[in-house]
Amino acid sequence: MTVNLTDRMKAWIEAMGCHLCVATPEGVPFVVLGRYAEVTGNGEVAFALAQDEAKVIAPALSKNPRVAFGVSRQGGIRAAYQFKGTGELLRSGSVFDTIAAQAKEEKGIDAESVLLVRLTELYCTKPGYEAGQRLDGMSPEELDAWERQRWKDVPRKRD
Amino acid sequence: MVKFTKEMKEALRVPGKGGSLIYLCTSSRDGNPNIAAMRFVATHMDDKILIADMFLLKTKANIKENPDVAVTICHPLDEGRWWVFKGKAVDMEYGFPRDFDWYGANATDILNEWGNWNKAEPPDEVPPDIVFPKAVQRGVVVVHVEEAYSIEPGHVGEKVLEG
Repeated sequence: MTVNLTDRMKAWIEAMGCHLCVATPEGVPFVVLGRYAEVTGNGEVAFALAQDEAKVIAPALSKNPRVAFGVSRQGGIRAAYQFKGTGELLRSGSVFDTIAAQAKEEKGIDAESVLLVRLTELYCTKPGYEAGQRLDGMSPEELDAWERQRWKDVPRKRD
Repeated sequence: MVKFTKEMKEALRVPGKGGSLIYLCTSSRDGNPNIAAMRFVATHMDDKILIADMFLLKTKANIKENPDVAVTICHPLDEGRWWVFKGKAVDMEYGFPRDFDWYGANATDILNEWGNWNKAEPPDEVPPDIVFPKAVQRGVVVVHVEEAYSIEPGHVGEKVLEG
C-alpha cells in the first residue's frame, strides 16, 4: 500500500533533510544525515549521500533494508512524524543521476550513492495522546485534513 | 570507558537551557529501526545520557527487548553538535528495585533527581501547538554510552569517543 505524504510533509523533508536510522539484523542501530532529500514519487523519498555517509549505513543496509527517518533540525519538533520503509542504495541509473546532480547543484554534495526509501509506514510523533498514532491508512484527503487541523507552517528551503 | 566533553554535556541538556532536541534511535531484536525525538535529556556521570520516559511506545518496547541504542542531536546541528552516541539503554521505571544498577547508575539516585522532570525543567520553550497538555512520567531511560562517531559532513563515521 502506498504511503501518502502531504505537501507540508514533503516541504519539511526537502527543506531540512532527515536523520536516517538503519539497524543490523541483530538490532544495532546506525544513524547518518540525509542532508539532501527529495520526494521522488508518492511514497518514495531519495537522499543523496556522500561516500562517508553511505559507508556508515551500507553494511547494515545490505543485510537489512529497513529504514526509519525523522525530519532534521526544527523538523524534529515542527514536523512530528516518523517515516518507515525499505531502503536501497543506488549508485547508477536515472534516479541516482538526477538526485546526485541536484544535490551537487543545491548543496555542493558529492553524492557517492542515493538512498531510495520506499515508504511503508507513517506515524505521528507529537508528544501526548497522539504519539505513535499510525497515519498511513488515511486517504490523501483525510491525511491532509488531519494535518491542517494541527499545523500549517512550511519552512523555507535551506541553502 | 568514555568521557563526555564539556561541549557534549552542554548539548545534552533540555533545549530551554541551551541544550538540544535529540533523536533516540532504537531497534527491535530482529532489526526494525525506530527514531523518535526527545526533549527531556541530561547527562549523568561522564558517560550516561538520561531521557524521560513520558510518551514512549515503540521505543520502550524496543529497549525492553534490545538495549542497543543510538542518540544523536536533532536540533541545533549547526553549533558543532555532530555526534552519534552508541550504547546500552535501560528504562528505569517506577517500581524498579531501588538498588538496581546500570553500569554504575543507581535507580534511586536517578529517579530521585529526574523522576519529576516536567516540574524540574518545564517545557516553556515548546510551541503551544506542540506542547503536551499533561506530562505523565513513567521512568527514566539511562543510556550507558560506549562510543560515539561524527556525522559532520566530511568527517562522518570518525570516532569522537571510544571506550
